Amino acid sequence: MSSIADQSARVDARAALLKTLDVLSMPAIAMVLAFGGGALIIWITSGDLGTVFAAYGGMINGAFFKTRGLSETLVATTPYIFLALAVSLGFKAGLFNIGVEGQFYIGAISAAWAGVAFAGLPAIIHLPLMLLASALGGAVWGMIPGYLKAKTGAHEVINTIMMNYIAFRFVEYLVSGPLRDSKSSAVQTERISRDAELWSLYQIPERLSDPGNALLVSILVAFSAIILARLILAQPRWTRVANRALMMWGAGIASGILTFIALPPLTRAVWLFTDQYDRMHVGLLGALAAAAFVAWLLWKTTLGFEMRMTGASPDAARYAGVNSTRTIVVTMAISGALAGMAGATEVLGVSICRCLPLFFSSGYGFESIAIALLAKNSPLGIVFGAFLFGAMRNGSDLMELNSGVSKYVISLIQGLVLLFVAAPLMLRALLRMRAPRAGESDAPLTRGWGG
Amino acid sequence: MTNRLRKWITFGVIVIVALAAFVLFNAIISGKCDAACTIGMLNQTLRYAAPIALAAYCGILCERAAVIDIGIEGKMLMAAMVAYAINLLAFVTLKGAGLDARTAGDASRVIALVSAVTASGLLALLHGIVSIRYRADQIISGTVINILAIGITGYFYRQFLAQDIPAGPGTFPPFDIPLLAQIPVLGEIFFTSQKPIVYLMLFLTFAIHLVLFYTPWGLRTRAVGENPRAADTVGINVFRVRYINVVFGGLVAGFGGAWFTLEAVDVFNPLMTNGLGYIGLAAMIFGNWSPIGALLGALIFGLGSSMTSQISIFRPDIPSQLPQMLPYILTMIVLAGIVGRATPPAADGQPYEKQ
Repeated sequence: MSSIADQSARVDARAALLKTLDVLSMPAIAMVLAFGGGALIIWITSGDLGTVFAAYGGMINGAFFKTRGLSETLVATTPYIFLALAVSLGFKAGLFNIGVEGQFYIGAISAAWAGVAFAGLPAIIHLPLMLLASALGGAVWGMIPGYLKAKTGAHEVINTIMMNYIAFRFVEYLVSGPLRDSKSSAVQTERISRDAELWSLYQIPERLSDPGNALLVSILVAFSAIILARLILAQPRWTRVANRALMMWGAGIASGILTFIALPPLTRAVWLFTDQYDRMHVGLLGALAAAAFVAWLLWKTTLGFEMRMTGASPDAARYAGVNSTRTIVVTMAISGALAGMAGATEVLGVSICRCLPLFFSSGYGFESIAIALLAKNSPLGIVFGAFLFGAMRNGSDLMELNSGVSKYVISLIQGLVLLFVAAPLMLRALLRMRAPRAGESDAPLTRGWGG
Repeated sequence: MTNRLRKWITFGVIVIVALAAFVLFNAIISGKCDAACTIGMLNQTLRYAAPIALAAYCGILCERAAVIDIGIEGKMLMAAMVAYAINLLAFVTLKGAGLDARTAGDASRVIALVSAVTASGLLALLHGIVSIRYRADQIISGTVINILAIGITGYFYRQFLAQDIPAGPGTFPPFDIPLLAQIPVLGEIFFTSQKPIVYLMLFLTFAIHLVLFYTPWGLRTRAVGENPRAADTVGINVFRVRYINVVFGGLVAGFGGAWFTLEAVDVFNPLMTNGLGYIGLAAMIFGNWSPIGALLGALIFGLGSSMTSQISIFRPDIPSQLPQMLPYILTMIVLAGIVGRATPPAADGQPYEKQ
């Protein structure tokens, strides 16, 4: 008896290992094949194999090793994380939000507007207000197609794309018209005060010497400590410990007070980020927090369960009593809010003028669809995928400089990644791997026009 | 409510909305557009409607065989770039071979058109292989086509077309259709000084309508789109029908893409298709998956675009971005109003698996 049980346990373990390998290997293979395809195209169009090495060498060098290379890669990673999370949240609920680019634009202009409209407020209120404005702007932009989908059945793919084009024109109009900075010769919105921008890591010691900022940070630290303590105490081995609530709050308050007292002098004494031109900013931490939030939302809340259920089978969800209209609208709103906050990080953390210039073109939106698919909608996977795409984006400049290969080649490579990821059966056929057994295939991501 | 009555009511609503839009338009430009200008505007409407209608026909051909095609935009972008590049290349080569500029121009435009249509057809074949043979999600597969097309056209544009290049032969010259142009008003709108792809679009409207509804091939296509299992049972090769329709759709979309660089302007810009491929899909839904209905939808969008350009001529004080949003808003309104009542082919979007 026991030998059979052992055997089956061993088989289970082996299956789990194979499954993990499978989950990791497909995106990796897709990346390798896509870079191979990119190399082929560079080789053919330049007629010289050396160009391929020069190009990819330049890309790696630019992404990681040149001065501020890695930090610029992380700067580019930040909006990718937000946007890919937005796309993946839609996919989980069976909605294809191609409109993240437009929501990004609206989030950026909303932040820029709030930055001017609420100027003069203390930073501790001003910054959250700008972030809130960007999230709200993106949420409204996402909600409209969601509402139309739920109420009229108009497909969100076309409507979100239309909202993209409307957003581009609308932002262009606002930046060149009502919100234009009349004092500047460049067409751009007014600068946001230096106090209210997202802190770059270089500035942190200086910022923390202001007690108000230190208080804000301590509150955030205390909040995260409470969440962390809650997660740890929920583990089975801690169930018998008495006073878990007390421990949780105690940990939070203690770490908050400790931060308030110790962190400012500590950062003044020792600080790693001493390069004042380093643009890496705290938005990255916000993006990581957003990834944690999405994971929590999807797997720990009723709303998340309803989203996943609607995505897997809308009819079953409806019979089980899920309000599909509400789920669709709320999903699109949260998705839009995440995309909008990416816009805020662009204005408040990245753009050198701390404003929104005319013709700021990002292209982050389409690429984040590829990231979400590459990561199979897993928040952790998205963080890694975003880092990879951020590295490609950042490395492409040096690649162009070193090898003369246009940096547009990365969008070609990203298209190939998407192609291989989107058609797992084709990838398997190319590699002569066996197809997954019936029932293992993923739920459909999107649906036809019927609604 | 019977189907026929519903159709008439929809038609009536469209007419009333169109009249209201026209009155509003005249109020905005304070009646400065006289009869000749109005006919000119309607003539322009047909011109703007051509790529939208061709995109819609591509969508119809694909979706009548139950393959959703979101990648029309990408195919048109690809065709636009190929048409521009080949037009230049062929012109330079032919002139180098000793032809006079006029003949070389005519020949290179035709070569460019053929290459553009082929390029679009190849992308359609890729969409077919990924979504028919490998049963990928069709909307994702279409998005792949779009992103690939943006990547390829952007790469080639930066690498080869953005530098100083010799002047090309330009776009097709406009011409009149001999007898039909004599018809008062209608002839002036439809058959006077248009370019070949516009006339081709008008021809394809009826050709596709006849093929879809009056030939065995059309019957097979519709059977595959409504109930592929049943079609398979009676001996129709579902995969073959889908492949052929998807590739033909790609060729039609290729004409729509070539319109941008062989008829509208003689330069290529990255992303120059500006979402017209998606608007074509809206026109297709508006026309309930029939070519004549889709043409009507495309004409409405074309009217929106030509009104936009008239407004920017007569009222330069209005920021140009505001009227430019109009076609997109119109698309959303049309979709919201129509979709609940439109019925897509029953198997639309579902990959077929042989048992």
